[in-house]
Amino acid sequence: MPSISSNRLFWQAAVLAFVVIAAAGGAVMLSIGGAWLLKQSLVPATVATVVAALIIGMIARRVNNALAKAHEKIEAAYERMLAQKTKELSQREIELRSTLENMEQGVAMYDADYKLLTWNQRFREFLNMPDEFFSRDRSFVDYLRYVGQRGEFGDQDLETVVKQRIEQLKRKHSFERTRPDGMVLEVYRAPTADGGFIAIYTDITERKRNEAELNRAREAAETANRVKSEFLANMSHELRTPLNAVIGYSQMLQEEAKDTGQEDFIPDLAKIENAGKHLLGLINDVLDLSKIEAGRMTMFIEDANIAAMITEVRGIIEPLAAKNSNRLIINCPADIGTIRTDITKLKQSLLNLLSNASKFTDKGTVELTVARSGTGADETVHFRVADSGIGMTPDQLGRLFQAFGQADSSTSRKFGGTGLGLAITRHFARMLGGDIAVTSEEGKGSVFTLTLPVQAALEEPATVPEAKPMVSGDKEGAQTVLVVDDDEAVHDLVGSMLGREGYRVLHARNGDEALAIARKERPDAITLDVMMPQMDGWSALTAIKADPEISNIPVIMLTMLHERAIALSLGAEGYITKPVDWNQLSALLRQHSRPGAVIRVLIVDDDPEMRRMTRRMLERMGLEVGEADDGEKALAWLAANPAPSIILLDLMMPVMDGFEFLERIRGSEKWSGVPVLVVTAKALEAKEIEFLRSSTQKVIEKGATAGTDLRAAIRDVMKSGAALAKAAN
Amino acid sequence: MPKILLVEDNEMNRDMLSRRLERKGFQVLIAVDGQQGIDLADSEIPDLILMDMNLPIVDGWEATRRVKAKEETKAIPVIALTADAMTGDQGKALAAGCDDYDTKPVDFPRLLGKIEALLQRAGKI
Repeated sequence: MPSISSNRLFWQAAVLAFVVIAAAGGAVMLSIGGAWLLKQSLVPATVATVVAALIIGMIARRVNNALAKAHEKIEAAYERMLAQKTKELSQREIELRSTLENMEQGVAMYDADYKLLTWNQRFREFLNMPDEFFSRDRSFVDYLRYVGQRGEFGDQDLETVVKQRIEQLKRKHSFERTRPDGMVLEVYRAPTADGGFIAIYTDITERKRNEAELNRAREAAETANRVKSEFLANMSHELRTPLNAVIGYSQMLQEEAKDTGQEDFIPDLAKIENAGKHLLGLINDVLDLSKIEAGRMTMFIEDANIAAMITEVRGIIEPLAAKNSNRLIINCPADIGTIRTDITKLKQSLLNLLSNASKFTDKGTVELTVARSGTGADETVHFRVADSGIGMTPDQLGRLFQAFGQADSSTSRKFGGTGLGLAITRHFARMLGGDIAVTSEEGKGSVFTLTLPVQAALEEPATVPEAKPMVSGDKEGAQTVLVVDDDEAVHDLVGSMLGREGYRVLHARNGDEALAIARKERPDAITLDVMMPQMDGWSALTAIKADPEISNIPVIMLTMLHERAIALSLGAEGYITKPVDWNQLSALLRQHSRPGAVIRVLIVDDDPEMRRMTRRMLERMGLEVGEADDGEKALAWLAANPAPSIILLDLMMPVMDGFEFLERIRGSEKWSGVPVLVVTAKALEAKEIEFLRSSTQKVIEKGATAGTDLRAAIRDVMKSGAALAKAAN
Repeated sequence: MPKILLVEDNEMNRDMLSRRLERKGFQVLIAVDGQQGIDLADSEIPDLILMDMNLPIVDGWEATRRVKAKEETKAIPVIALTADAMTGDQGKALAAGCDDYDTKPVDFPRLLGKIEALLQRAGKI
């Protein structure tokens, strides 16, 4: 109880002060009294002095005793308090320590000078630094420098990073950090009241791994679904060809039977034709649904006259309704006006609803009512299809719009159909910005209401977004390839593949975007997917080839189907079937990109392995390569070939070394301007460095990062070369 | 008797369509690929061409372009026969110079209507 003990101390001090003051007061009074007696000569001076001394001595002893006693008391109280405080402090220390040491997180606190104050074992483990860093004279800046020297900030300038990190400490912030060994840490830092800060490190490796796995699983599932849909789309296409022959021949035979008077064949031939048409309808439904699921269903929006479309629909439905002796009633005002939508899809939807109604109604009525409502942007058209047929139970209603979810399987046996029609109709309605609703009562009939906006608002905006190309990689001077595909997975794959090969990659998701980006960025080549929403690949290809400004950009088509002839006839330079064979694509791009601007590089090196590696790298960059294994051979190569754009030069070579070769070409008229990049393992002397600096563009040391350095240096040279060429024009 | 050149590589489609056309009183010439189609158009100057689009050697679009590029044959009406699964084919066909198109499977009465309309316009019937 600190307050009580300090109270006691206060009172003891007060008593002591009183005693001292009282004693001093007494002595003063005595002195004054003695002096007065002396002055009056009432007492002889000697006696007075002795008495005074005695009295003063007595008082002093008393005071002394009192003082000593008081002092003892104070000291004891102080000891007690100290013990108490120490105990409390160590208790707190224990609390703090056990909290810190039993946490899953690494914690460190820094003071106002950013020096380490407190830290726990986890912090040491997470930071993975030498022991001397975990002491109070070490600061946050020391730590940053160490981590920077370990290479964890990549290419960033260390001092800049240090400055940034210090600046960050003024605010609460958090970020993720991946250790070289793969451990992912979430780092949280916040300022503390004393001007320092606290840092909390959490190991989120497991969480990250789970997230990545989840993503992978999701992607795999999506890919599988897409592959399934694509297979179905292709398969359905294949099924239609023979079926068309079946239908065609049965029609033809009916015509012939009529002409030759063999009419008794006609009913059977008509059955073949009808069965064939039915099967074709089913295949078309499957094709539609798989296209919808694969995101490849395209909408063609146009202005259409509603009444004219309804007349057409009536012509098709009338015989169907008559089959079950149903009365077809159509209520459509002649002045119903126009609708801006995909009229083919709308017609298909209405035919589907009306043929269902006719199928499930016997000797009843099938009624189509068309009406407009709303104004402006909210103006809609309602198509209401009511029948007096068998109707549905609430349970059946619930499953109605699911693919393959016909009310029950006995229904499909009795009435036929895939049960895909309503699923497709709803997809169409929603893609056109509308929807479909249903009410039904078992035995009384059903009412389907299809509502569409007068101005179709597509799910995906059809307008061209401002051509702001997404760029992967950041490679100045590299050749640019525009990848056009609606499939994100393709962007990832092609993007990373081309990026690795040294290309700068632009991305477009549809034909319109591709055109806008191509006009703006003038890529060196375009890869174009055939099947895309909005504007398909063929239309995009035609548009590219029709625009004189971009028609010379080579286009390579990526397609699922074997449509090589179409691709080439429409002006594509190349053609590849999916799944993409990278080597094939890479070869095609090399062959076609940037026509006329061949960049030739001469490698001068006596090490054949080094030449081979460098050649491969350069060829991947799309460059043409010449080789020579010493200076003399290099001079011979130069004499026999057109001047190269760049020379890569080793220094230590037999016969003629790099220095002599350099002197020779710098002295010549013809090759003095050719940029030279020195690639060497030689430890250079000051004089040599001076010479190379004046006569070459860059010196690259052979070693682990030589490849990256070399690519960057070549791009620099190519870029300045291009700049020079531009200036000369 | 108007002369129709049918350019189609699928044997059954070729057989059906040519027989039905002949029964309607047309003289039918057959070509099985785009190149043959161009050659026959040159040598026979038919009154109308029915052109499949997915053809070997030279495809229907290119064949149409070449027919329409030549002074002697450019007046011949061309009807493209396109697979309706390939949306965009029709637009491409018209861009290549086709006068009309019809989708496969062929609805014969409808196709006949288009043939007659084009022949009438060309003053052949």
